[in-house]
Amino acid sequence: MKRRLFWIGLSVVFTLILGLNGAWAKSIKIGLMCPLTGSWASEGQDMKKIVELLAEDINAQGGLLGADVEIVVEDDGGDPRTAALAAQRLATQDIVGVIGTYGSSVTEASQNIFDEFKIIQIANGSTAIRLTEKGLKYFFRTCPRDDEQGRVAVKNLEKMGYKRIAILHDNTTYSKGLADEAKSLLEEKGLEVVFYDALTPGERDYTAILTKLKAANPEVVFFTGYYPEAGLLLRQKKEMNWNVPFIGGDATNNPDLVKIAGKDAAEGFYFLSPPVPQDLDSKEAKEFLAAYVKKYGSAPGSVWAVLSGDAFLAIAEAIKGTKSTDPDRLADYLHNELKDMPGLTGKISFNSKGDRVGDLYRLYRVDADGKFVLQP
Amino acid sequence: MELFFQQLTNGLAIGGIYALIALGYTMVYGVMKLINFAHGDLFTIGAYLGLTLLTSLGLSNYLGPVTGVLVLVVMIMVLVGIVGVLLERVAYRPLRQADRLSAVVSALGASIFFANALMLIYGARFRVYPHNILPKVSVNIMGLDIPLIRILMLVASLVLMAALYFFVQKTKTGTAIRAAAIDQGAAKLMGIDVNKIISIVFFIGPALGGAAGVMVGMYYGQINFTMGWVYGLKAFIAAVLGGIGNIPGAMLGGLLLGVIEALGAAYISIAWKDAIAFFVLIVILIVRPTGILGERVADKV
Repeated sequence: MKRRLFWIGLSVVFTLILGLNGAWAKSIKIGLMCPLTGSWASEGQDMKKIVELLAEDINAQGGLLGADVEIVVEDDGGDPRTAALAAQRLATQDIVGVIGTYGSSVTEASQNIFDEFKIIQIANGSTAIRLTEKGLKYFFRTCPRDDEQGRVAVKNLEKMGYKRIAILHDNTTYSKGLADEAKSLLEEKGLEVVFYDALTPGERDYTAILTKLKAANPEVVFFTGYYPEAGLLLRQKKEMNWNVPFIGGDATNNPDLVKIAGKDAAEGFYFLSPPVPQDLDSKEAKEFLAAYVKKYGSAPGSVWAVLSGDAFLAIAEAIKGTKSTDPDRLADYLHNELKDMPGLTGKISFNSKGDRVGDLYRLYRVDADGKFVLQP
Repeated sequence: MELFFQQLTNGLAIGGIYALIALGYTMVYGVMKLINFAHGDLFTIGAYLGLTLLTSLGLSNYLGPVTGVLVLVVMIMVLVGIVGVLLERVAYRPLRQADRLSAVVSALGASIFFANALMLIYGARFRVYPHNILPKVSVNIMGLDIPLIRILMLVASLVLMAALYFFVQKTKTGTAIRAAAIDQGAAKLMGIDVNKIISIVFFIGPALGGAAGVMVGMYYGQINFTMGWVYGLKAFIAAVLGGIGNIPGAMLGGLLLGVIEALGAAYISIAWKDAIAFFVLIVILIVRPTGILGERVADKV
């Protein structure tokens, strides 16, 4: 009996020591808001893996300002309403900065909350133009903007020689923004937009839309929505025996596209995107990719998740550079002093609006094996 | 005109699916006056179980594609039917004497439970049915290319619906179901085991929903754990449109909703497709609150 009491007493003492130790060592908390559930869940789960891997890496090297980095993850479900709640929960947890999120409409719901609380936010997949046109001081993004993508899309459509172009979007902030951008650019250049309409994301049957598209008789269809719908469109287009080429926006850049469409239906699909992780040739990208594959067994799916890693690196760099966690100093540093930081997707600098500077978009084509091949 | 006929076939194919799911809503409502909001998730369970069985048993390899698919659909119907019976035992039977709102809340709870359980078991990613389970053949009817599988889907839906109608109208158990729908107390006095009848209803409805789930999985390929919500909602509209509690009404409502959606998408706007469906529902409810075939109030089911 006495012996047991001794052991219990000892373990209580140890627990207290360990517990207090944990409480005393102040950690630097960085938030991650991402879609762990919902239709973009695969993006969100990759984001979580990437940011946690980078945080482990920094902690192994001694952390930031002598403290460990702790990642606080909140699920936004890919839904603006959930995102507002997630942002509020994050904002009250004493975080230095927040990474995320993927969809533009979801990010938009969280922007003002973080701005009010003076928390740095670096989005990684939200490309809608107006997110940075609001002049929010603490908002940044590591992904390029839709107007840039619109320009590249129109340039490529012109280069490929198409004259009658159909545009299909899905009414989300991002997708409609890009579709509008492309439409006005195309009309400026005197190319004909023969179809412009939206589908409802989350459905299974798109034959009604495809039939109507086919009736408009376009030479090419530019779809600005996301990969689940793109995959179904390709699959059902193939079943209709309709052979019009499809070009997708950057939200179709996800390997699940090929799984959904099937290899035979996905072959020949073009999309625009910042380079996929495997096509990045910088030292940082290669090291990161190797570490990622070693830890999780396979490469990250899309570039959007990798851009969340860049957001993490930028926050970490700003904390190192300013030796502080003061949001105003961090924001100033990111706006003005962070120049050409070697990130996972290339060199990173931000302009005065918080947009990433530089030319990122490439054209990809899906080959017969379902691989994404970078076009020259 | 080609656009019209193409959209008509598109609408009928998806409408057949809506109708199959709507039958589950309508039967449960007919007997228990309960909207089973977890019904859409039973449909999703059917799709997921179908994928699991398809990939693990490899039925098509030794039974041939068509028999393989038939056996698969029957197995799924039985399994999802059992889930439906269990759902009723756990979530609805204890609340049968409580007010109706409690049962609705319980149904919503069950729906959230099923969706999240599926996410935890199968993961949050889209799951994809193997391609080419059935040979991809198109039938050319009057210049329209219609994939054979769509015709099979519509035929299968119609056969299942016809079988159900026959069962409810012509068999003894069917008569007991109709009796229980009119008055459970009186049915009990006539020696009908109402609990058993309710279990049967909760077997048949989910079984049909599960069959719809496998068909959607096989045809559209892509499934995820939230898909039951949209389909469930549409099927619910279909059930109300046709007259909730009325079996031919659910069939008619489903097919009609599919066609209205497809034609609305073609001639008005694609983005307004869902709004059009709801608009039609509102019009029907104003003009004919019982639904199209809902006139025989005394004889639901």
